[in-house]
Amino acid sequence: MMDKKAFEIQFNWIFVLVAGAAILLFFTAVTVKQKNVAETSTKATVLKSIEAIISGTSVSTDTTNIIDIPDSDIDIECNKISISGTERVSKQYQSLILFAPSLIKGNKLITQTLDFSIPYRVTNLLYITSPQLRYVIIGNNNLASEINKSLPVKSKKEFYQSMPEIKNSNNYQVRFVVFQDDMISFPKSLEKMPDSDVTAIKINGDIEKGKIEFWQKNGDSWLSKGVSTYIGKQTLIGAVYTDTLDMYECSMRNVFSRINLVTKIQTERTQKLILRVMSNTGCNQFYNNGLSHLNNIFTASLSFSIQNVDTIVESSKLLSDQNKNAQAYSCPLIY
Amino acid sequence: MLRKNKSQIQIGETIAVLFVFFILIIIGIVFYVKILKSNLESEQEELSQLRSVGIVQRVMFLPELQCSEGNVIKDNCIDILKLESAPSIMQGNELYYYDLLEFSDVNITQIYPAEAKWVLYSRKTKDFKNKFLTNVPVSLYDPITRKHGFGILTIETLSK
Repeated sequence: MMDKKAFEIQFNWIFVLVAGAAILLFFTAVTVKQKNVAETSTKATVLKSIEAIISGTSVSTDTTNIIDIPDSDIDIECNKISISGTERVSKQYQSLILFAPSLIKGNKLITQTLDFSIPYRVTNLLYITSPQLRYVIIGNNNLASEINKSLPVKSKKEFYQSMPEIKNSNNYQVRFVVFQDDMISFPKSLEKMPDSDVTAIKINGDIEKGKIEFWQKNGDSWLSKGVSTYIGKQTLIGAVYTDTLDMYECSMRNVFSRINLVTKIQTERTQKLILRVMSNTGCNQFYNNGLSHLNNIFTASLSFSIQNVDTIVESSKLLSDQNKNAQAYSCPLIY
Repeated sequence: MLRKNKSQIQIGETIAVLFVFFILIIIGIVFYVKILKSNLESEQEELSQLRSVGIVQRVMFLPELQCSEGNVIKDNCIDILKLESAPSIMQGNELYYYDLLEFSDVNITQIYPAEAKWVLYSRKTKDFKNKFLTNVPVSLYDPITRKHGFGILTIETLSK
């Protein structure tokens, strides 16, 4: 009789244990699932914010904004934006014109848009960075001070006439922008930072065009990663924001395909002006000249290269002159 | 025998309590999921509307269409000469414009001085959930005659 009672009590306890474990397991599963859903939803919110910024770029020109986002790591690749974590949330684009560091950390984003014209409007360029990223501008020419003025006030930027003594202020990335003939020596205080987190560009040119050499930390020295080119202040600022040569060239290729599309429309528009504006007005010579410059820009915009940048800059100036002539003679304008 | 029945009843009671408990939890979850789903649907609709407005704005600010005088942009104005060239270029680069215009139909209809219609972009999907139609009055500028016409920019956006 006693054995039977003992068995009953034991059975009761085992039953309570199994039932309790089932309940606990159920709630744990629900909590874990909810946690994953919340994480994915936060990442989706961040991605949505970035998508909204990108789609709003075409509408707002010359603006700077600081946007609060949930604390996250945003990876920027060629035509792709991802939010890092256990489950990555990504968005792929066909042609994304975005100048940004390859990793944006923190709970704030600095966004800037600038109009890009050659001389007719092509697009707005979008720049994104983090307030935690440090920019050190070194140079004593007008271009250096112009770039310093163009970077957002809220960004962590420092401007020096010559190489100062650099202290490590615990930023996750440091970017040097050098407007000197010779590359600066590598700052000792940054030697312990990971190689990919300390980068630099050396600029050789003027406000219209020039060459950019990309550098990256290599132990206790600089390693050249290659040379590219810029067209106008807007793309030079793009090179300041973008920390790798590949990302910069990807965005520049997208800028060039945009130039190509807009130029095609401008070319066809000018051809219509030649056909439809009465020939006795004397406007046609400006349109014919303008058309040949537009054709040069169209051909040069087929691929991004140093030679093509030179062609576009020269043809843009000549096209601008023809537009001014058309205006002086009260002709319908080329752009 | 009586004791055995008592303990069996006890276990039966516990099972019944657990059963009711789980039923209540399931009802709670179903209720929560339904509320979540309806919230999600309304949020999705709001998002689709926002996306539709975004597409309208992007079309209005396309350099491929905008009027300009010496690169000074005129708001709510579409250049007729650009408009005549834009359809073939935009339709020929449909994949490129998908980033900007997504699944949508973009048309411009001239009402004055003469009636005319341009289909700028058309990319549709069969499995869409929401459909929004937005009409925007626009000025259609002819740079040769320097006269403004009147038209309607119609954008139909489809979202999954």
